[in-house]
Amino acid sequence: MLLEVKDIHVHYGKIAALKGISVEVNEGEIVTLIGANGAGKTTTLKTISGLRGLTSGRILFDGKDISKMPGHKRVMAGLGQAPEGRGIFPGMTVHDNLLMGAYARSGNFDKELAEAYELFPRLAERRNQAAGTMSGGEQQMLAIGRALMAKPKVLLLDEPSMGLAPLLVQQIFSIIEEINRRGTTVLLVEQNAQQALSLAHRAYVLETGSVVKSAPAAELLDDPDVRAAYLGGGLGHEAPGERA
Amino acid sequence: MNEKNPLARFRHQLGHSSDVIRDRWAHTPGWQRWIVYVALIIGAILLPSESIGSFMSPDTDWASILFFPIGTYVLLAIGLNVVVGQAGLLDLGFVAFYAVGGYAMALLGTRLGWNFWVILIVGIGICALSGITLGAPTLRLRGDYLAIVTLGFGEIIRITARNTDEIGGPNGIRGIPHPPSYEDLVLFGINFSDTFGVDPLKYGVLDPRPYYYLLVALAVVVIILVKRWEKSRVGRAWAAIREDEDAAEVMGVPTFRFKILAFAIGASIGGAMGVLWAAKSISINPNDFQFLLSATILAAVVMGGSGNLPGVMLGAFLVAWLPERFRGLQEYRMLIFGAVLVALMIFRPEGLLPSRQRKAELKEGTGGMGTLGAEVPGPESRGEEVASK
Repeated sequence: MLLEVKDIHVHYGKIAALKGISVEVNEGEIVTLIGANGAGKTTTLKTISGLRGLTSGRILFDGKDISKMPGHKRVMAGLGQAPEGRGIFPGMTVHDNLLMGAYARSGNFDKELAEAYELFPRLAERRNQAAGTMSGGEQQMLAIGRALMAKPKVLLLDEPSMGLAPLLVQQIFSIIEEINRRGTTVLLVEQNAQQALSLAHRAYVLETGSVVKSAPAAELLDDPDVRAAYLGGGLGHEAPGERA
Repeated sequence: MNEKNPLARFRHQLGHSSDVIRDRWAHTPGWQRWIVYVALIIGAILLPSESIGSFMSPDTDWASILFFPIGTYVLLAIGLNVVVGQAGLLDLGFVAFYAVGGYAMALLGTRLGWNFWVILIVGIGICALSGITLGAPTLRLRGDYLAIVTLGFGEIIRITARNTDEIGGPNGIRGIPHPPSYEDLVLFGINFSDTFGVDPLKYGVLDPRPYYYLLVALAVVVIILVKRWEKSRVGRAWAAIREDEDAAEVMGVPTFRFKILAFAIGASIGGAMGVLWAAKSISINPNDFQFLLSATILAAVVMGGSGNLPGVMLGAFLVAWLPERFRGLQEYRMLIFGAVLVALMIFRPEGLLPSRQRKAELKEGTGGMGTLGAEVPGPESRGEEVASK
């Protein structure tokens, strides 16, 4: 197992945001966390990447306990994140943003740069533009490309579809699939459950800080509770065109 | 057509012309730049002359105000710019480090009789330490909260000094020694006091110019160091922290360490200026280190274009010089000063000479000037990017 989150509890002040979440990610998988607003998806991801401290529980990465490791060291260990709300550096150019992604590494990044530009040709067109002046979709691409520059073993993605047009969402998701096919494990947090479940191998459903379901993603797509709660089909109704 | 249009166009033209200058500068070959640097330093050395002074400050001694407030503000602004402009940490108590430097000079000079140059080095060390001491617990805070704590720190230093009788209490410390003098300097066969009418290394009470030259020398060293940091890995880490601290951390930037470093460097520069200033002014007291000075220096940084060194220096110069220039207008000068600040906010909200990167940040409504903790839309942002955060 590459990444294992064991019964983590996280508090914002006195309020418990996560009440014992356990997630496992195997090498080569795409795992998704779905759930409504406030379910604790983003907090889980932030805790894994080290932006939030945990009250109790453990996070194991590559067999090592990284619960107490500061965030910037986790990057070197192999956890790459594209933060929520895209989190690009708006004043830097696209190129500089990508280079920032390799900040923790030394040596030559030409290969990774070329790969990022190959995955996202759009970024190559705009390499000298200030990142803040790009559209939401382009910024999302940049955030993912930048995270890849660190050559992560696990890529943590926080709501890559947020605020994007449906066509762009499709495009971003197919790129995530491609990244996974090239050997990077992906942990994806999404509100867009339909898309996320069709892409992922396994999924966890979060509700108010706990995992309420975990199963292979395809099973959850057919699960009546999940359908009712996240996929917009009423209970007992079959939404057309969703069964492959 | 709405009436804002001519205003917007005017602002745009201003921005455009500064872009053109910046681009030319960026493509200037190295040797031409060196000519400009040398010319600037010579200009700074010639600045205290009477003929310039009669226009620049008809009502006060030009050489005196060149040291304080103008030179002092410029150097303090360079220091604060590292903290606010580069790392994006809003520090409202910068005067504290200036005070620590001043008191270091005063105490070590009067009690232990140390030499100015030794105190300068030790003072810088003490200030760096005090920056780290302040930073270690407070830099876990962000934005407004950091601003409040630093504001408190500035007041704590001043009030502690006032209430500690061992260091003079409200009366402060008198009889601070001047830097050691070398009178009748002769260099390359030129006798300076005969030829130029100034003895550049004679640190007395009467002539402020030697102190001004010392300040220029200190500023040159500081500018070179700051510029090198800005262009290094450290500078890139600061820029990343300023623009998005969380993102910087997940890129592998040890954000906490770099924020402390920014505090320590800013504090050292403020402290060095404090040492120099105390060595000139013979006596210091806690009221020399009011909050208003922190606020003024911050105004200089923001007004000049925080993050951009020439802009920040220009801002500090104006903030220090304008009230002196219009001293003849007595109380009205503060009114004019205020009007100039308001005009700047309308025409150049990003500062007189902002860096291009900073402009883009401001447009996006992030980063910039620490955003004062609030993620407010910039003058031309559409607002929705902010709402989505």
